[in-house]
Amino acid sequence: METKDTTQDRVRARDAAMRLLNRLTTGAAVSAVIGVGLFGAVSAYTIPGTKTSSTAVASTSSTASSTSTSTSSGLQSSTTPVTSSSSSGVAVSGGS
Amino acid sequence: MSDTLLWYTTRGAGAVSLVLLSAVVVLGILSVLRVQSTGWPRFLTVGLHRNLSLMAIVFLALHIVTAVVDPFTHLGWLTAVIPFSSYYRTFWLGLGTIAFELLLAIVLTSLVRGFIGQYAWRLVHWLAYASWPIAVVHGAGTGTDAWSAWLFTIQAICVVAVLAATAYRLMAGNRDPLASARSSFQTAVDRREPK
Repeated sequence: METKDTTQDRVRARDAAMRLLNRLTTGAAVSAVIGVGLFGAVSAYTIPGTKTSSTAVASTSSTASSTSTSTSSGLQSSTTPVTSSSSSGVAVSGGS
Repeated sequence: MSDTLLWYTTRGAGAVSLVLLSAVVVLGILSVLRVQSTGWPRFLTVGLHRNLSLMAIVFLALHIVTAVVDPFTHLGWLTAVIPFSSYYRTFWLGLGTIAFELLLAIVLTSLVRGFIGQYAWRLVHWLAYASWPIAVVHGAGTGTDAWSAWLFTIQAICVVAVLAATAYRLMAGNRDPLASARSSFQTAVDRREPK
């Protein structure tokens, strides 16, 4: 029967399209989850940010002997204790 | 959870949300154009459009939640609800809030489409054309990575895709073969009192 075959073809086509829709939706969901991780990692690599607040950074700016390191994207904590000195500098002249 | 991990998740989820939202807009335009082929029936476009829009809401929620709970910015939950209420990047974050609420309105009215009627649903659905550009501007203005090469590339691809689909839609005109018949029918059954 031609009519029955046509109907069966349409049913098969619809089922195939539904399977494709499910696959595409699942693929999109998985890709989106991976995308969050991937974009998050890329953003972390490009602009890692800083854990130090700006006020804390400002208070450590008067050191002369510390070896704190800084990067273009933010300051990192130093392993050397930061000390400040209120004494004035001493100029030395002469000597051998 | 680490502050920076929340921050990275916010940025990653924001980028993914933009991609999903752009795909939703493009699919919406294609569904109006009744695009189909042998292996791609029309309901597939509509179904994917619906599924991706719900997915976009989920990732937008992730984007918002991680931004709000991030202790660095202290945004607060009101920022997610009331536009321009944030002390931090007030204008740009406000645009994000508006874009999210417009999208939420579209999704909610789509879920109750049978109750509110086709005309009201279509009116609200037009807000999609406002939600997407507002979201793009929000990302460009607020985003830490807005001018990073990777996010700039993603934004450019999204903008080009949506603009191309919109231009195609405008040039293609109305592809509904029953458009004139529907219009005649609606006019014929209009039961409003003549003025």
